[in-house]
Amino acid sequence: MTTTTAPITPTLPVTLDGRRPHRARPVPAALVLAKRRLALTVRSPRALVVPLMTPILFALVIAPALANTIAVPAGRTAYMTFVALATVGLLIPLNCSFSGLGVIVDRQQGAMRELLVAPIRRSSIVLGNMLAALALTTLQLVVLIAASALRGAAYETGLRTLWFVAAALVFAVLMYGLAEILSVRLPSPEEYIAAVPAIAIVPFFFAGSLFPITSLPHWLGAAAKALPLTHALALFRYGMTGASGTRALHNIWGLQSAPEMAALSLVVLLAYAALIVTAALRLFTKAGTS
Amino acid sequence: MTMTIGAPAVEAIELDKVYAGEVHAVKGLSFRVAPGEAFGLLGPNGAGKSTTIGMLNTTVRPTSGRALLGGVDVAEDPIGTRARSSVVFQDTVVDHPLTGRQNLDLHLRLWGTDDAAGRARLSALSELVGLGEYLDRPVATYSGGQRRRMEVVRALVSDPQVLFLDEPTVGLDTRVRHDLFDVLATLRERTGVTILMTTHYLDEAERLCDRIAIVDGGRIVACDTPANLLRALGDEVLELRLNQPEPAGAALRAAGVPPDDILVIGATVTVVLRAHAADDLVNVLRERSFVLRAVTTRRPTFDDVYLRLTGDRIADDH
Repeated sequence: MTTTTAPITPTLPVTLDGRRPHRARPVPAALVLAKRRLALTVRSPRALVVPLMTPILFALVIAPALANTIAVPAGRTAYMTFVALATVGLLIPLNCSFSGLGVIVDRQQGAMRELLVAPIRRSSIVLGNMLAALALTTLQLVVLIAASALRGAAYETGLRTLWFVAAALVFAVLMYGLAEILSVRLPSPEEYIAAVPAIAIVPFFFAGSLFPITSLPHWLGAAAKALPLTHALALFRYGMTGASGTRALHNIWGLQSAPEMAALSLVVLLAYAALIVTAALRLFTKAGTS
Repeated sequence: MTMTIGAPAVEAIELDKVYAGEVHAVKGLSFRVAPGEAFGLLGPNGAGKSTTIGMLNTTVRPTSGRALLGGVDVAEDPIGTRARSSVVFQDTVVDHPLTGRQNLDLHLRLWGTDDAAGRARLSALSELVGLGEYLDRPVATYSGGQRRRMEVVRALVSDPQVLFLDEPTVGLDTRVRHDLFDVLATLRERTGVTILMTTHYLDEAERLCDRIAIVDGGRIVACDTPANLLRALGDEVLELRLNQPEPAGAALRAAGVPPDDILVIGATVTVVLRAHAADDLVNVLRERSFVLRAVTTRRPTFDDVYLRLTGDRIADDH
């Protein structure tokens, strides 16, 4: 190798110790890391498509089939819409769980070590991955809602859809926090994948997805009210199906005012999200330093 | 964060680390590295080298003691000290699906150096190590040597004051290892970066480091330049393989060889030659009816240095 004498030196002003001062980054680290996670996901199309498959199957095939088979008082379209919206409650946990798997892959393949020695807050790593998970979930939700609408689900538009958006966002943050906790507690992919059904799929069947929670045995119905998914589904339906969506909220709270019940359910989701995300950040920060 | 003028680039003060399960990995380790110096921590696996580097780059929390970069305690300003350093790990840490440029760009952004100077440095360093034409290909398509060079460029592209190299050549074939030595030596010359590296390869430590600390059981047992460490063993050692090494060692001690100059490991007795000639010592043993299976005289190596200080051979721990 030929040795040259030209030094590789910075051209910006230096401090007394001969180095540039550490500057605040114009782009927060969380956004940089979210971009990284999205760039990695784009190179793995399965990560985009697989979480969408089950909800799409439910919305496009199972919901219409159930609606045709079961004689529901509210009518075929209403039941199909009822179930199609429920699949949002399946998509979000599944997608967030997949995102949590990405954290384990980072740890096993070594990229996490680079991030842990970077001059950024450890919380930025969690938040960056969360932002990417939210972006992907949003994209998939749009596809799911559009596909189910084309299939015959009847959604209402208007300001009330903001309840759907708020609930979906907070529920996704909550589920990602849960995925992050699992990825710290269950550091092997095998253990993590084994836990996903318990977190992402089992609650789906008790939270009012295919039938109201009032159809459950009393004790199970009471337990269902403690599930964040129950509140999320009630808000999804309230936001997207107009007055008919208030029944799920009423099954939880038993009040007369729909906006009041909706606000209460959103507060429950926010409380869960705050608790879980705080725990996730603490666990991750602690795990990042042995 | 303001570095203290005149402070060592790296300083460990009585660093101690006890892991869960009472594993005492580092025991009161202290050393200083001057700015621009290349300092090596040499020792077998489990000696505490990686734990020491972990305490210096904030990925390991010390049980006690202090770790300082440029006079600043890493515990008091972890983000500021991490901004001044960079790490080349034993295993690759870049994202294989992304291109080399995307990986380097990520590092620049995370270290807050994604300005014109940073990008110029990215181009210059990449060209210097021969990666310029590969930058826009996914890292997954790189050869092992290219990936290692990528790792070094990644670590240097943020213009760190201190570069930590944690067993950087483990698992690489000989040609790639030597290629990497050249790259590191050239980059050090061009950038003046302070290097702290851990290794259990003796030739690597001798070739790259201005000073070497030999670490054993979590402690530094010797710290000096490679030349001085070897000088302590003189110009020549005698290596004997025989059936009764312990009695042979006793016979040599009776003949006037200082006990510290006699090393018995397995069936091999190694003797530092100072006041005695090799032939004389061989004759002493033959006169006492020892059967010598092999007799060799050679120059001392770092293995001998390590053996003398710790009683273990580094090669056995690979």
